[in-house]
Amino acid sequence: MIRVEALTKVYGSAETRAVDEVSLDVPAGTVFGFLGPNGAGKTTTIKMLAGLLTPTSGRVRLGGFDVATQRSAAMAQFGAVLEGSRNVYWSLSAWQNLLYFGRLKGLRKAQAKVRAQHLLTGLELWDRRDDEVGGFSRGMQQKVAIAAALIADPPIVLLDEPTLGLDVETTRTVKTWITALARESGTTVLLTTHQLDVAQELCDRVAVMRRGRLVADLPTRELLASFRERDRYEIRVEGAAPPGFDAVTHDGVSTISVRVGDPREVYDVVERLRAQGAVLESLTQVQPDLEDVFLALVNEPSHAC
Amino acid sequence: MLADVLAAEIGKGLRVQLAHPVGHVITLLISTMMYLGLQFVLGQGELRQDLLPQTLVAIGGYWFLQYAGLVLVADLIEEKRAGTFAQTRMSPAPAWLPMLGRLITASIFGLGVAAAAALVPVLVAGIAIPLRWAALLPALLLGANVLAFTFLLAALALVSPMIGALQSLFTSLVLLLNGSFLPLAFYPDWLAALARVLPTTLGIEVITRTLFEGGTLAQVWHDGSLPWLVAHTLALIVAGGLLFSRNHRRVLRESS
Repeated sequence: MIRVEALTKVYGSAETRAVDEVSLDVPAGTVFGFLGPNGAGKTTTIKMLAGLLTPTSGRVRLGGFDVATQRSAAMAQFGAVLEGSRNVYWSLSAWQNLLYFGRLKGLRKAQAKVRAQHLLTGLELWDRRDDEVGGFSRGMQQKVAIAAALIADPPIVLLDEPTLGLDVETTRTVKTWITALARESGTTVLLTTHQLDVAQELCDRVAVMRRGRLVADLPTRELLASFRERDRYEIRVEGAAPPGFDAVTHDGVSTISVRVGDPREVYDVVERLRAQGAVLESLTQVQPDLEDVFLALVNEPSHAC
Repeated sequence: MLADVLAAEIGKGLRVQLAHPVGHVITLLISTMMYLGLQFVLGQGELRQDLLPQTLVAIGGYWFLQYAGLVLVADLIEEKRAGTFAQTRMSPAPAWLPMLGRLITASIFGLGVAAAAALVPVLVAGIAIPLRWAALLPALLLGANVLAFTFLLAALALVSPMIGALQSLFTSLVLLLNGSFLPLAFYPDWLAALARVLPTTLGIEVITRTLFEGGTLAQVWHDGSLPWLVAHTLALIVAGGLLFSRNHRRVLRESS
């Protein structure tokens, strides 16, 4: 659904390579997480995907249409919410915004009205449809921006930091919508976020960028599994930990964190604890989360996968 | 689809402008008060009926330029900042279509405000403006001249952060020199020549000749004023078109 081939963006004579030979292939119905630290090139890539920026080289195809040579058809394939922008007109009502963006995306007025009613009802904004968006809370404004991106029911949605600055309740609504879009409507969702828990919860596949290059592009489970050689275990014992063990003690329970190369080494640790009279409360294998993986990838490029 | 996008763009533009009308009403009142006040001062304590019709046409051209420019350029700057301009560029419609919609919105709003502002002096000072068919073509060319200049500024606004200052400079010069205070005939030759380089001035000159001096289109063509107006307008349209095309490519190349 989204195919990016050797996408490169070089700025100015200084040959700053904001995006360097990035290739992606995102199938339909996938929630694709596009991660990276600030300045990694995520937003530049999204802008090239959305036709807002011309690549120095490489190609972008959305729904089979080349953004450079079949622009009109490619633009009809997606809706987008861009980071750091209002995305919608604050002096217009939610209803007026949706009708405007619907027609801009090629819908007839009657079609836009039906879609707008569906989206505003689903996002719990129907009662406020005639109010100016400028008077809405940040969460409600973001909902309107998301509704505007979805107004033409596009097969692809580009969401740049969709949950940034939102409260817990609105974040949950947005996450529910993203999941439903992919699972129920088969929409392909490409999202960038710095909230790695959100990415881990939502994304079927994750790509990580660092200094303009992709350092990982794998299904989320595979990406997490590929870091399992660094497995950690948490051992909880009653009372204070025996001498020789670094532990954090809280409420009469000490948590000892051990990192092992071979899982069988855990038996040795437990044996040492038993020998020193410690009473075992629990033993848990700590799976690396996306934050661990992300930090490893952006700080240690040798981990590229 | 193209007509639908165009209608949506115009409708949106007018709704945005009319969302908070009080500011426009206040600006409009200030504009008419300023005009009548200046005419009173320049007329040394009276409103001179021999000058008012000509200067009213001239300031009407200025108001059209000022408000059309405000709608097109100021809104474009604001939309670039707010990200809605980027949203409009992600439409399947060609890039020039929303811009055409903006231009039409600007002309509707500019014309509406100019007409409303002119109505106050007409009623207050009893200014009579004759209507002659010969003035219709020059009036349309004046409109095209204003819009072409506004489009040129909008093309600059795509890339230049200084466009607000540039717009203020040009609109101020137009107000000072296009005949809004005194008809061009009162100016020294060098200042009149400079004034004719600015938008609106040539149009107002041709309208003055056809509307108030009884000139025909053939006469204004032969005395060179109409050809100059046509050439000036065409030059602005070509310059605006080239600049828009160049700056749009630049935005696509450099936006980060």
